[in-house]
Amino acid sequence: MPDNLSLYIERDSPLQRLNPLTKLAISFSLILIGFLGPGYWLATLLFICVLVPLSIWGKIGPEFLQRTVRLILPLALFLFVMQSLFYPGGRTVLWRFWIFSVKLEGVQFAYLTATRLMNMVGAFLLLLLSTHPSTLMTDLTRRGVSPSLTYILVSTLQIIPQMRNKANTIIDAQRSRGLETQGSVRARIGALLPLVGPLVFGSLVDVEERAIALEARAFKAKRVKTSLIHVPDSVRQRQVRIGLVVLTLVMIGIRLWPL
Amino acid sequence: MAIIAIQNLTYHYPQTTQPALQDLSFQVEEGEFVAVIGANGAGKSTLCYALTGFAPHFFRGEMSGQVLVAGLDTRHTPLEELMLVAGLVFQNPGNQISGAKFTVYEEIAFGLENLGVPPAEMRPRIDRIMALTGITDFANRSPYALSGGQQQRVALASILVMEPKLLVLDEPTSQLDPIGSREVFETIRAMSKQGMTVIMAEHKLEWVATFADRVIALANGEIILNGPPAEVLTSPLLIEHHIGQTRYTTVAKQAQAEQLWPPERALPVVIDEAEAGFRAYKK
Repeated sequence: MPDNLSLYIERDSPLQRLNPLTKLAISFSLILIGFLGPGYWLATLLFICVLVPLSIWGKIGPEFLQRTVRLILPLALFLFVMQSLFYPGGRTVLWRFWIFSVKLEGVQFAYLTATRLMNMVGAFLLLLLSTHPSTLMTDLTRRGVSPSLTYILVSTLQIIPQMRNKANTIIDAQRSRGLETQGSVRARIGALLPLVGPLVFGSLVDVEERAIALEARAFKAKRVKTSLIHVPDSVRQRQVRIGLVVLTLVMIGIRLWPL
Repeated sequence: MAIIAIQNLTYHYPQTTQPALQDLSFQVEEGEFVAVIGANGAGKSTLCYALTGFAPHFFRGEMSGQVLVAGLDTRHTPLEELMLVAGLVFQNPGNQISGAKFTVYEEIAFGLENLGVPPAEMRPRIDRIMALTGITDFANRSPYALSGGQQQRVALASILVMEPKLLVLDEPTSQLDPIGSREVFETIRAMSKQGMTVIMAEHKLEWVATFADRVIALANGEIILNGPPAEVLTSPLLIEHHIGQTRYTTVAKQAQAEQLWPPERALPVVIDEAEAGFRAYKK
């Protein structure tokens, strides 16, 4: 079982070395432009012409494509089936069988939604696969984001697998005492209570101890925090970020006030 | 010079009528290794929390008397300042890992980052502490991928790197296997030999007998014994208060009852003393 839920892939590439805020800006602007920008093919173009080349630049191309497809494919299939058959107001029938008829408007709507979602998932994956959470949070904290907030985000990535391990230990312990945890739905639901009780109460005790441990490491100290990790940034990256923000605002403007 | 001076300390946890600590008074000299023993609920952990300021700052509750650590009155000094003089390591190694860092090296740096130590100063401090605690090989591993003993040494290193004057340990090996316990005890001994003041609450009396300069025994929140290990660990009061004895003392006592132990010889608390006693009897 992995020690944390981070998706980061360690590679030596220019994308990995980019400042996390730049990657965050790229991801969010791509998502917003994909959703708000004009044109039927925009999201597809953004994915093929921006996200895929960026992933190749970051030496994470295969992993990026594999994960995006794995995440988006079931959703896209569901969208196509539902929208092509039941899209309200669809008039152009492409083909018909039994009581069902597939309409062009539904297929088009499903395609647009699916490609926008693929663009969104891809943008997030590009960020998560190429950015170590520690680097991202260090940079955000340096820029004034609350250390408590970044702590909650990072610790969740690590503490959830620990809780999963603990839950497995409790299940094994209950099983060794004869509790049935497999089989029918009823048996599984019945096994939940003896799991949830120790897990929740145990976690509450853990929270107190973890709070003491954090205090003992001066987490609440009212001093200017420093960082072991140096996260590089440059004037050019700052310019790119500003450019992306302007571009996104323009897209939002065009959407709100069409020419 | 006394680094700890406790005067008439009484402490109640919130919403309790029975005090967890009752009228405690003692001093600890700089560089001393003091072990605190006692049955469960005797007040060992509470004493550790009082020495580091968590009682009353974190747990609230009512406190009377005075606790001075390196000249700072714990009741009137913020935790943030107390952490610089008194470091706390407790039982559960997993819960002492911050969860904020992904490698052991970064984990050890966490306290220094919070204190605002410049990065250039951090690295030599971390390297030194990692070598001292024997965890240099784990530098790039996840703290969660380590064994209990290794995690506890990471927790210890994370506190030691902040360079406290006093190290307070609350049963640091209670959740560890014998190998993990040995690793942690050896590290603590190394720190003590370097002149660090150590207060350790512990159940493993054989280790206490081996390492401590002085032993304080607690029962129901009160000090019942305070003296050298050989004196405290052979006292009948330990049995009376369900604290137990070292296995060497128990065996020698039984031998004494059967006239198999030299009558003029004091009861042993460590294996060497037991061996010498039985050899002397044989002669």
